[in-house]
Amino acid sequence: MMETHEEQIFTSEELEILQEIMNIAFGKSAADLADVIDTHVVLNVPFIDIMQVTDLPSYILNYVKDYRNISIVEQNFWGRFKGDALLVFSSGSGKELITMLQHGENTSLESDPIEILERETLMEVGNIIIGACVGKLAELLKDVVTYTPPMIILERFYNDAISENHFDPDKTAIVLKTDFSFTEGNVSGFLFLITSNDSIQWMKEALRVFIAQYE
Amino acid sequence: MIKKILIVDDSPIARKMLKSCLPKDQGFEFEEACNGQEGFEKYKSISPDLTFMDLTMPVMTGYEAIEEIIKYDKNALIIVVTADVQLKAIKTVLDSGAYMVLRKPLKKEDLQVALLKAQDTLQQVE
Repeated sequence: MMETHEEQIFTSEELEILQEIMNIAFGKSAADLADVIDTHVVLNVPFIDIMQVTDLPSYILNYVKDYRNISIVEQNFWGRFKGDALLVFSSGSGKELITMLQHGENTSLESDPIEILERETLMEVGNIIIGACVGKLAELLKDVVTYTPPMIILERFYNDAISENHFDPDKTAIVLKTDFSFTEGNVSGFLFLITSNDSIQWMKEALRVFIAQYE
Repeated sequence: MIKKILIVDDSPIARKMLKSCLPKDQGFEFEEACNGQEGFEKYKSISPDLTFMDLTMPVMTGYEAIEEIIKYDKNALIIVVTADVQLKAIKTVLDSGAYMVLRKPLKKEDLQVALLKAQDTLQQVE
């Protein structure tokens, strides 16, 4: 039987453990976000794909092609687990989140241009989602990670938002992907955690230690 | 007495983790399902004493499965085991008739306390 690319790097059991850990980590993100915004974050089952980094832009496009524009919050993280977190929001999510955070009241100052508010809101929400998810994932795998400050690309057409040379072409990408939407407010998006072959040996051992608690 | 236990979770690893946290000397009989729909069908066919239910699952979510099971059997004892620990999620499932919510990753002690409470409740119903 032919092995898939994922199975060449991870065994099927390792992939299942990683998927369950991702599920727990994203649950933590959703709970942290729901503390700030009065909504229920609807979670879908996360999954894992492994590919050459050069295939990443078209892979991501496949998921976000239905969005007119996208906004991206990006943070790099590093510890023994290191990589890049990309949180991709649908068009208009920034403005929608501003409304939700203000509980429908327009209390912004006249001097705050909407674009600045949108940037700040998306960065703050992105920071909560990425920090909680990556932090929980690292915690479950007994690691500690440090983050770069969030960077944002606001309301761009996909091809202008992610370029072919955004990622190091020599690396393999382990993509942990989950999608989310809010029950109130028209906000949805995807979280991609992209880690490279540098983390694979460590990750395999960390997964073994994690599941050993349950043997 | 709790004898038959149904575990509904799409992740085989999560099912394994849950089983490993349960006492080995109680002679439990396990049945497993990998989504809410299958969980509901198995519930109807085996009438478990206790059901562990995940929420985020394909085909039919745990939210929907709990509603179906409670409609079918209002005394069903369902413990939700989930990574979705948002207050609204917890309130929704408790309002739907779930007995208790435990957060993932499971801790052996939490599960054993839950099991004792479920045992008491079942004895009162019997």
